[in-house]
Parts: sequence; structure tokens; C-alpha cells
Amino acid sequence: MKKRTGVFVCHCGINIAGTVDVKDVAKELSKYEGVVHAEDYVYMCSDPGQKLIENAIKEHKLDSVVVACCSPSLHEKTFRNVTQSAGLNPYQCEIANIREQCSWVHKDKEKATSKAKKIVKSIVQKVLRNESLEPISVPVTKRALVIGGGISGIQAALDIADGGHEVILVERSPSIGGHMIQLSETFPTLDCSQCIMTPKMVEVANHPKIKLMTYSEIQEVTGYVGNFKVKILKKPTYVDPDVCTLCDECTKVCPVVVPNEFDEGLTGRKAIYIPFPQAIPATYTLDIENCPGVLPIACGKCADVCEPNAIDFDMKPEIVEEEVGAIVVTTGYDLYSKKNMAEYGRGKYPDVLDGLQFERLLSASGPTAGEILRPSDHKVPKEVVFIQCCGSRDPELHKPYCSKICCMYTAKHALLYKEHVPDGQAYVFYIDIRSGGKNYEEFVQRAVEEEGVVYLRGKVSKVFQNNGKVTVWGVDTLTGKDIEINADMVVLAMAMEPSHQTDELAKQLKIALDKDGFLAEAHPKLRPVESVTGGLFVAGAGQAPKDIPEAVAQASGAASKVQAMFSGDVLHQEPIVAAVDEELCSGCKLCIPICPYDARVFDEEKGIVSVNEVLCEGCGSCIAACPSGAAQQKNFTDDQIYSMVNTILEGD
Amino acid sequence: MKLSELGPEFKTEVMSHKEAEGLNLCFACGTCTAGCPIHEIFYEYDPRKLAKMVKLGMREEVLASPYIWYCTTCRNCEQRCPQNVKFFDILNVLKNMAAKEGYAPHSWIEQTKQIMKNGIIFSITEELKEKRRALSLPALKYNGERAKKILKLTGIDKVKDQGKA
Repeated sequence: MKKRTGVFVCHCGINIAGTVDVKDVAKELSKYEGVVHAEDYVYMCSDPGQKLIENAIKEHKLDSVVVACCSPSLHEKTFRNVTQSAGLNPYQCEIANIREQCSWVHKDKEKATSKAKKIVKSIVQKVLRNESLEPISVPVTKRALVIGGGISGIQAALDIADGGHEVILVERSPSIGGHMIQLSETFPTLDCSQCIMTPKMVEVANHPKIKLMTYSEIQEVTGYVGNFKVKILKKPTYVDPDVCTLCDECTKVCPVVVPNEFDEGLTGRKAIYIPFPQAIPATYTLDIENCPGVLPIACGKCADVCEPNAIDFDMKPEIVEEEVGAIVVTTGYDLYSKKNMAEYGRGKYPDVLDGLQFERLLSASGPTAGEILRPSDHKVPKEVVFIQCCGSRDPELHKPYCSKICCMYTAKHALLYKEHVPDGQAYVFYIDIRSGGKNYEEFVQRAVEEEGVVYLRGKVSKVFQNNGKVTVWGVDTLTGKDIEINADMVVLAMAMEPSHQTDELAKQLKIALDKDGFLAEAHPKLRPVESVTGGLFVAGAGQAPKDIPEAVAQASGAASKVQAMFSGDVLHQEPIVAAVDEELCSGCKLCIPICPYDARVFDEEKGIVSVNEVLCEGCGSCIAACPSGAAQQKNFTDDQIYSMVNTILEGD
Repeated sequence: MKLSELGPEFKTEVMSHKEAEGLNLCFACGTCTAGCPIHEIFYEYDPRKLAKMVKLGMREEVLASPYIWYCTTCRNCEQRCPQNVKFFDILNVLKNMAAKEGYAPHSWIEQTKQIMKNGIIFSITEELKEKRRALSLPALKYNGERAKKILKLTGIDKVKDQGKA
């Protein structure tokens, strides 16, 4: 045990000193067991503050340091660096949090001071028993896996590949492009979505550093930061892309028609199909679930007409194994289904569309070649009602969060509708208009001022079919009037939700999800592209609802994090991990299923459990589970915890 | 309120007057209402709400509304409007339309008649004349002729009290 601890009490301006008598804390601690020096300073994190600690370590020959200041999540690193530069092991420095856990939450100065003293003393007790630790070094495989081929995945893959590292881009559906390729124009500039998206898709296809795997799914992920092993299931497309000439003869003879996913069900597609003309990879896929049978006896018409013989009914699923150092998860979003909206017809009315369906109606490549015709009778709708917040901002029945992009795309829909149907009338029901973003507010005002879109502030209570019309009942709270509109068509701005199967993938990846099922970031402000699990990064609408510019920015952010990780040959990890006392371990294996990171391994030969320090995140679950006390967290041993608890309870 | 039946015609008609062109710019922030000295006294007088009613095409309700006559013409609303909507001018358009359609309030028509007759808004009563005599003040001599000439040029003399308001 050490005996030369230095205690440094920070005022943090008045943040701490306003509620805690810092001088009194320093004075009392200077007399405490093991403490040979204690002093206070106004801002310990400032340059002079850091120098003060460094000089004191040298002058008083300190062997350990306690800084009583803010949360360790803020300045632990600062002070450990100072300790290290003064010649000590950085893990001989500990933070006593007397701000967030004391001064900020109390008013009574006397009691707060007494509590602060106890906190500092308990940390002194901890540091007296601290081991000197060295960071764990891990080799890093400089290849990245990007999961999801929407705009975020494409951007991340291109950025990492442009940085000179190999990237495997895995996409579940037959083509990359995600939802963005379905859109007509993009707000607020009204760029044609396909025009700005397809060059990026082509770049992915041609990039020498990108290995593109479409129609593929992640089956298993093992390993840890810098060293993941991934099994990818490559589903058979039954079409050889190198032989297929895209002549389209196969779809003409295919007898099966199923809803076309790309057109959001507004049209049908065949069982053998190309998702859309600019699909990457440019090839056909035979959808085996809807094909009457790949046996030529069952159907086989497509193979008969395929002149280059590109169709191969014997194609088998393939498992591809890859080793990567980092994984960027960009699983994107899906729209909350119209079926959830009982008061709006549960998706049964043909002229009540969701936002993506309306995008397809507006799109030049859509089912109506860009003409606005309502699905039921192919007539031009003269009155269209747009309803915002469908399923969003409704914690009682639907989603509690704001889907963020609906205000903007609804303004865009209404504006584009007026461009297509100048004598038509567009109404928008809204709760609030949230148009934060560069040139966004101006865009919404343009819809109102130039196109005369009527905005009605209120929610719609009911939508129902009525003599070939779709009647909308709502309220305009600004006039206090009930509103009835006999519309020709209704467009619902449905909430965004994490793409289907995000939860299943999250289990494979051991990546955390938030309460709404979106991918969780490590810190909402300061670590927005990292996940809590080392080596996993998040970007795009799979993390939270967001628009294209934000998705692209976040993807580039994740890519730059990956590149920073790949810049050296080894990674350094925190050594605050679990350890096993071989003498005490009985090999009961209780800790193995409890570990969320698969870091505990049973050693058959010794009959005990050992820890894979690289995988261990130091969560402490195994320590709590261990019945014999053999599992201990480094620098958080039972002995340390009990001595801290005893110190806190002393004198009470 | 059936919006499909109301249609955009009323809004278009109001906005066809040059001074009311800016109506579409209104985003219903309520700055006009917040700064209106009349609204302080009469909660029902609400410029923001009136603008919205015009935009929704509520023709009958707007023109028959007594509130469009409440404005004191202080123009606080248009001084403060972030969107530069000339609400005072829009209100004049509405009052003109209302007057033409017989919604001018009875009291307003009576006052106009008074001005045309005497040149001032108040009546010169016998009681007033008697008071002045007792104080040895000279008799009031008002002549509505000049006021009448000006008012006739505006067409105000043709506004009939149709008893609608």
C-alpha cells in the first residue's frame, strides 16, 4: 500500500466553491491517513492548475494523486496525463467527483462540505489500493465492413475506401441505393434524387477498394475491436450478373406478379426482376420465395428465353467469411405502417398514400412517369390533404419522438404537387412546423407564399371514403374552427422507425439500441458516431430520424473515426478489466453466460475461467455474479469498494 | 366548416388589391395581435385570426364580423410584422368590401351622415348651444359642405345601411 498521496481540490470557479468550502476540504484531507500534501486551486484543469499538480508530485515525492473536481468522464484523462508526465503510472490518479455528485445537487454548504470530504477520503482509500496498470495493446485489421447500402453506407464506404482501406459493403436487398434512390426530388434545393445518387452508386460499383455484396446478410460476428470475424450469407440470385445482358426478356414471360417494393406497392413486379433501371449491381434477381419453382418442370420460362443462359437454377447460398477491424452500421429506416392508423383507414383506402408512395407518384421513373394520378381511378387529384406527424409525437398510441424530416418533405410534396397540378389545392395539417436547417424555413415559406399551400394547425381526427372522395375531418386551432375537406387524395407523413430486422442484427453485433429501437450512440453529443462497443460505428437514419445532409455528414464522421483507428498498427485499450484469481475460481462457469461481451473463456485444462482482456469492457457483471470472489475488477476490487463504503459511512 | 366548398376565391379576391398582396406571407406568429391596443381591451379582436380566416376563405364570417371595424389605425401591427404583412391595409380592403355588401355598421353610417351634414362627427345640440350662450361664447358655425364634397369623391355617401350589421 502506498503512503504518499496528494489531494488537489478544485473550486471550478463557484461551481464547487459556491457550495463546498474547498479550503476546509483541503485542510482536513492534508491530515488524512496516507495524504502527504493537499491544496486547492480555482481551476485545476487550467494550465497553471495542471502545472501545480505536476510540481507537487515532484516536490513531495507523491506516489498517487486524487483530484477532487468534476466527473471523471470530463477530466480524468487530463489529470492522468499530468500524472504520467510527472513520472507516475497514470492509473495512480483518481478523480473524486465533488461537483456533479455534490456541489451541484446540494444547497446547504455545511452538509455539502462534509459530504465532499467523505467523497475525497473514499477516493483516497481507493487510490491507496490502486495497481499500476498498462494499456492493453491490440493489433488492428485495416479493413472495414459497412452494413447497409443506403446513402449513409455508400458515403461511409466511399470515404473509407478513398482513404486507402478495403471496405466490404453489405446490402440486404438486390441493389444499393436505399430509400434515397426512391425519392423524386430532395429538399430544399429540389435536386433530382436519382441524379445525385446514381453517380455515388456507380462509384461504389467501380471502386477498386470496395467489395460490394448485395442480396447478402450478416450471419455471425465474432471477435472484438480491430479484429472482427464476420460470416456473411450471400443469397442466390439465380442470375449470373457477368452473363446477363439486361435484355429484360425474362420478366416478359414470368407469370408471377407481386407488389413492387421499389414503387412501395403501387405497381407489381415479376418474380424475376431488376429493382429499378439504374440498380447497382445492374442485374436481375430471381425472388425464390415467389417463383413457382426453379425446377424447369414447374415453370422455368425465364430460363427458356434467356439467350445468354444467365439463369442458373443450381445457384446455392454461399457463406463468405471476412476479417475486418471496424464495422459501420448504417441500417437506415422504414416507414411506420399505415396499418397502424385506425382513424386514417388502416391503409385500406387506395387514395390514402404514405410519403414514400407519393415520392414514387412524383418521380419521373415512377408508376405514372411523374404525373400525379390517384391510384383508385387514375384521375388528377384536385384537392390533396397532407397530414404531418402520422404516428410521430404520440407517446400514447404510436411513437413518442419527432421524425424530423416530415415537415420538410411535406412542404416539398405540397410544392411539387402544385407544380404538377397548378389549379389544384394543397392543404397541410401540422402540429408545429420544424424547419431547422440551412434554407429550410425559406423553403417552407416558399410553399406557402408562392404556391398558396394552405397550412392548418391541428390534427386530423378522421379520414374516410365518401362517394369517390376521401373526406378529412380536422381542426384549425388558429381560427378555432372544425374543418372538413372533401379531398381527392390524402398523403400521410408516416413516422420513421428503425429498419425492420435492426433488432436481430443488433443482437448479432452486440450493439446497443435505444428505447425506440434505434442504434445507440456512445454519447449523444460528444460521441455521436461511435457505439458503446469498441470498433462499431453508427450513421444515418438507423441511429435516429435524420435527413440526407445529416446522414451524409454522420457517415463521413464515422468513416473518419474508422480511418483514425486504422492510422496505427495497434490499438490501446483501457486496462480496467476483469481478472480471475486462479486460486479461488472453482470453474462454476456462472460468469460465462452473464458476460455481455463473450469475454470469459473456460480453460478445460485448468478447470477455471480466464478473461479475454481485449473483449472485456469492464462492466463488472461477472464480478457481481462470482460466488467465490475469484472475479475481481482491476482497480475496483472488493477490498477497494468496501474500504470506500466504510469511509463514506464513517461517523454516521 | 367545409373547406372544399369555401375555396380560395375570397383570399384571391382580397389579394387582388395591391395593398393586400402580402397576406400569403403571414405565418400566424401573432406579433400583430400581441402589440394591438384594441386586443388588450377586446380579446375578440384578433388580427392574426382575421388574417387566417381570410386565408381559409371564410368570406361571410369575415365581412359580417363587427371586429374589422374596431381598428384604431395605430399601425403597430404592420410596424412589428416580421413578414412585412400590411394588416392595416388588408383591413381597409376588407372594410371596403364589407361596406359594399351592406355590412357597414349602423353607427358608422350615422357618423358619416353627421360629418356630411355638419362637418364634425358630433351633433350640435340645443343643450350645447345653451351652455355656450351662458358662458358668452360665440355660436358654433359648422358647415358640412366641404366635407360633403370630399366624402362624395370617395363614394361614401352611397353606402347604404342595409341593416345587415
